[in-house]
Amino acid sequence: MPKEYDTFVDDLSTLPEGKELILAIRDLAPGNRKYDTRVVKAILASSANKLPEGDILWLRYQRGSLRPEPWRIKIIDEREGLLLKEKVYDT
Amino acid sequence: MPFRDNREYIEALEKAGEVVRVAQEVDWDLEAGAIIRRSYELKLPAPFFQKIKGYPKGFRMFGGPLANFRRLAIAMDMPADSHPGAILDEYHKRAQHPIKPVIVKDGPCKENVRIGDQVDLYELPAPMVHDGDGGRYISTWHFVLTKDMDSDWVNWGMYRQMIHNSRDMGGLFLPTQDIGVMYYRKYEANNIPMPFATAIGPDPISALASCASYGVGRNEADLAGGIRRAPVELIKCETSDILVPAHAEIIIEGEVLPYKRVDEGPFGEYTGYRSSPRMPRPVYRVKAITFRNDPILTVANMGVPLDDADICLSVCGRTDIKTILDNYGFPITGIHLPPECSGHMIVVAVQAKYTNIASHIANAIWGTKLPYPYIVVVDSDVDPYNITEVLHAIVTKCHPVRGIRAQEFAVGHPLLPFLSLEERMWGKGAAVLLDCTWPLDWPKEIAIPRKASFKEIYPKEIQEKVLNNWKNYGYK
Repeated sequence: MPKEYDTFVDDLSTLPEGKELILAIRDLAPGNRKYDTRVVKAILASSANKLPEGDILWLRYQRGSLRPEPWRIKIIDEREGLLLKEKVYDT
Repeated sequence: MPFRDNREYIEALEKAGEVVRVAQEVDWDLEAGAIIRRSYELKLPAPFFQKIKGYPKGFRMFGGPLANFRRLAIAMDMPADSHPGAILDEYHKRAQHPIKPVIVKDGPCKENVRIGDQVDLYELPAPMVHDGDGGRYISTWHFVLTKDMDSDWVNWGMYRQMIHNSRDMGGLFLPTQDIGVMYYRKYEANNIPMPFATAIGPDPISALASCASYGVGRNEADLAGGIRRAPVELIKCETSDILVPAHAEIIIEGEVLPYKRVDEGPFGEYTGYRSSPRMPRPVYRVKAITFRNDPILTVANMGVPLDDADICLSVCGRTDIKTILDNYGFPITGIHLPPECSGHMIVVAVQAKYTNIASHIANAIWGTKLPYPYIVVVDSDVDPYNITEVLHAIVTKCHPVRGIRAQEFAVGHPLLPFLSLEERMWGKGAAVLLDCTWPLDWPKEIAIPRKASFKEIYPKEIQEKVLNNWKNYGYK
């Protein structure tokens, strides 16, 4: 059974397929640690055909709505801590 | 007598029929949130969940602690069916007489202590409140305590907190909020971590007082004491000098790191929408957690009215604004923030003594730090607590062009649903005044229409006759 994760994204061009990238994902495995944030180096694909050995990666828009079709993710390694971002504005 | 803690309050609510004990196991993942939300929308008692899926026996959850005026009256030790106006007036009266807290050496919030490597936020049954939220929001009915960097000022504020992982939380706080003043302008500006503590499940009045915009340099702990008519008991944190409510269910301690931003949100908010974008926001690094035996995690599931946020905004916002308008000497006859309006609308009833008094009042309100997008000023014959009368005044007395005064460059924030995405991100707001007062230069008997109500369109003698014969007509 593939594992399931999700991530938040509006602009799909920020998730290039087939290239290694660092991203924050939430672990959707049932249990008390569900939704734990993990920072991983991974390869993504927009369909199962392109990454058959990958796990499931659900995509949510930045305001939370779920995109209907999941992507695939192959985690290469995991990073300690959180994925720090540039400060945009104090909100 | 004021409630010492959340538990005494729940007991009183239960006696008044305001609580349902849910014995069946409930999932923290959306199920509990959905039950709480439905209880608001059907105006039902607050759910008190006795068994949370995957968590030890005794770990409980209580939803909707202050979701209606009846619960507020009970929290304030008033008759449960008091009129909202009476409750709000009593709150305002008590707020004028703050009482300082007392420090105690022992308290139930220390019954279980986790420090350093023992800390695991997942030990507590934090709910996934709404589908699509950015994470599990452990803090929705709570307050965050922070101490000013260079004074004795301690701020309490109900700022949401989302779990990132076992040791980190994220949150949204605005530069205009007291915590924003402390963090952005002082701690972060000096590259110093800001110590914080979070009190989850405090006594109900402390939670309410934390929602007040009490002001820079003024401690909400004193306000809470005044509203309770007894001091709040505080106890020192394990890892900092911050003093926290000794009887709170759960205390989370740590630091807000300077110049660290991690994506937080979205979250179904007090406006009734999940409108704020997921954005890089400050990080709370947790250093200790303490909690009572059999802890009760309190949850406010914010969304469409009425819920706990609407009541808190209505109560605290009214006193904040009333204090300012009274200080200016405006001839105010009533003020209300209808909870149906999510804290976005203030209705001010006034004896219009001079031309453009409505604009004067609106400008005074917009000069405060809270961005109220809608201000409605009505004549003193309108009851601001009666939403039917207010709506009638808007559609009959507010001229669709001359009566509406837009404020284009107001301060906004990311939770306002009517703003564009770009405006939400950059805090570009807007506001409007609806002036529902009759112009003073209209001749009274010629230009001002007579209101066709029982009290105003019939001669006194007819009114008396009708009232004296009311039962004779067959009415009770």
